[in-house]
Amino acid sequence: MRRVRTGGLAAAAVASLLAVSACGGGEAAEASSDTEVRLWLNGTDTPQELRDYLKETFEADHEGMTLVIEEQDWSGLVPRLQTALSSEDQTPDLVEIGNTQSPTFTYAGAFTELTDVYEDLGGDDLLPGFVDAGTADGTLYAVPYYSGARAVFYRKDLFQQAGVAVPTTLEEFRTAAIALQQANPSPDFSGFWFPGQDWYNGVAWVFSNGGDLAVQEGDRWVGALSSPESQEALAEVQDLFTNATRAPRDADSNEPWVAFNNGQAAMFSAPTWARSSIALPECDKGVDPDDTSPEAEALLAEQQACNEEITGVFPLPGEQPGSSAPVFAGGSNIAIPTMSQRQEEARDLLRIIFSEEYQTMLAENGLIPGNSQYADALGDDVYAQAALAAARNAKLTPAAEQWADVEGARILEDFFQQVASGADVAQAAAEADRLMEETLN
Amino acid sequence: MAAPPLPPETAAPPRDPLVAEPVPARPVPPRRRLPWRSRLGPYALLVPALVPVAVGLGYPLARQFVLSFQEYGLAQQFGRPAEWVGLRNYTDLLSDPYVWGVIGRSIAFCLVNAGLTMAIGVTLAVLMTRVGRGARITLQVGLLLAWGTPVLATLTVWQWLFDSQYGVVNWLLSDPLGAEGFRGHSWIIEPASFYLVATVIVVWMSVPFVVFTTYAALLQVPAECVEAAQLDGASAWQRFRHLSLPLIKPVLLIAGLLQVIWDLRVFTQIHVLQKAGAPTRETHLLGTYVYSLSREFSLAGAMATVMLVITLCLTGFYIRRMLREEDL
Repeated sequence: MRRVRTGGLAAAAVASLLAVSACGGGEAAEASSDTEVRLWLNGTDTPQELRDYLKETFEADHEGMTLVIEEQDWSGLVPRLQTALSSEDQTPDLVEIGNTQSPTFTYAGAFTELTDVYEDLGGDDLLPGFVDAGTADGTLYAVPYYSGARAVFYRKDLFQQAGVAVPTTLEEFRTAAIALQQANPSPDFSGFWFPGQDWYNGVAWVFSNGGDLAVQEGDRWVGALSSPESQEALAEVQDLFTNATRAPRDADSNEPWVAFNNGQAAMFSAPTWARSSIALPECDKGVDPDDTSPEAEALLAEQQACNEEITGVFPLPGEQPGSSAPVFAGGSNIAIPTMSQRQEEARDLLRIIFSEEYQTMLAENGLIPGNSQYADALGDDVYAQAALAAARNAKLTPAAEQWADVEGARILEDFFQQVASGADVAQAAAEADRLMEETLN
Repeated sequence: MAAPPLPPETAAPPRDPLVAEPVPARPVPPRRRLPWRSRLGPYALLVPALVPVAVGLGYPLARQFVLSFQEYGLAQQFGRPAEWVGLRNYTDLLSDPYVWGVIGRSIAFCLVNAGLTMAIGVTLAVLMTRVGRGARITLQVGLLLAWGTPVLATLTVWQWLFDSQYGVVNWLLSDPLGAEGFRGHSWIIEPASFYLVATVIVVWMSVPFVVFTTYAALLQVPAECVEAAQLDGASAWQRFRHLSLPLIKPVLLIAGLLQVIWDLRVFTQIHVLQKAGAPTRETHLLGTYVYSLSREFSLAGAMATVMLVITLCLTGFYIRRMLREEDL
């Protein structure tokens, strides 16, 4: 038996070694050659056409250099940046970062100061909330890349059947959502798709009521969910959770169009680029996604037209008729890492991004460009109108140094889930405030 | 390293495994000193193994230990000098009742999971020695597939099974079985049922290892001993309990030890389930909690050191026992 034992011990040693080394895997250090400039973009929000434009324009201006665009996944971005940005060998030369994650890195000194190019890039036309998120102690480190405002998508036919009109105030929105759900008694049907962890949408009620997530008092951050304004809003949110939605309490704001596409929701709220994700079964022409023949494309266009015929969109209304609610603004900033060895080239690339051509292209693709002067290129269809109306009033999360930690700890996901589960709102808010204060200070 | 060859006249006769005979005390012959060169040889052979261990394991461990006495966060990573704070990270953590909750939950989760895995694994291994060839091969292939599937792929499937809206488990319970309460039921929103789902997944993925090691060990149990015991009238249970079990005990000890280590620092399964919509704070175990602290490296380092101490405490007993048997 001795052989078995020592063999086992060796196996134990090897296994634990393997397990340990498996954790360290992942990012292989990429050797950046002398002629390479690396740009990190997140997710698929920047369309291919825009990436090609950047590459061509930059390489035409810089003889012999190549621009490498590397796509990063939004999830797990902060830890990845944490390791990459602090290493000269691994850092990208220009990096896109979520607006709510921006303060964490600007305060840590991860980015190069951009005050000197502020005017070149657009000056006061740059989206102000995003500039704040990119500023630490009065110095600018990150500039707005794009913003995507949220709007509400709805089924026109279901509104008609339930005898509900497009709401013009937040109060009307709530009654409309409840009425829609009552008109459709199927046990899977939601008047408004509102999953339990969806604080991105829930926070619009808080903002709209004059409440906030956290406010700065002196040099301390104080959780504001317990304020009377927030409490009033959260009671309405709980009513929506209870009476206007059957979305799972354990789902978040990802892919809200799934239930809508299945005919299980009359409304959902998402950034306006979600229009391309709507695919109602009534309109499905059964086109093979790989088919690129002209017939297939014609059918796809027909399908899209059919979808947009049935679907309507409006900005989430505010307290007063005709106003729009201060919704949560998603979007990102862009910055040059301090560790980058290509500061000059990165600045040139930044200038290309803030050129009229590129900003216009962003707008044409449904993204609100960092320089609001070019937002007109969004067009004047209902989607662009809804996006602009929502964006004008959009609000960001508190520009606190540690805000990314609040998101990392998923404090607000947990909190809204508790509200959705019918918890006592005052009690849950007090606990969430306490956790936020612990994290932010 | 090898023990000196025993003089032939003191070699013990093959012992009857059923009877634990006392080993007669005998004088150990004095070891003859070898020239230093040949004594060094075996140690030189260890070098290739020690270097990767020192680089891959020793360095991070030492760094983590040093970090845990500093204040080291994102700003320090970008060049600000790190401040020494003594034991502050440890006192901060250990004075927080929430941390003790996480520790308690982790230990309970670890023991329940390791226990269940061992029980199910050994049962299946015994089953495998009893069934016919066809059934055994089916079982082996099934277990291998369960083991060989990448963790994230397995987790995605489990997540779909337990999805509250479109999951097949809820559909099965509510439609054919008529339990209406399970329509849209969320399995991961309550910590208790979250851990139930996590246990199912963790056990599912670790059982095959236990089955294969135990099965291999069971094959080593000498058939003649089993036959002899059978002739002496020992029942199947007695043969297993008093013959097979003591013979495969060393293997079971090691498998159990590994389970305890793995289940104590379980990360992937918990992390993925949390991302699927569970309340994060209430479902943290040590692995995910350390990860959630990762922006404050010093605090995460202190917590990881505490975790290491807990692992050593839990497994110390095992390791001591294993080493003792090694010396017999």
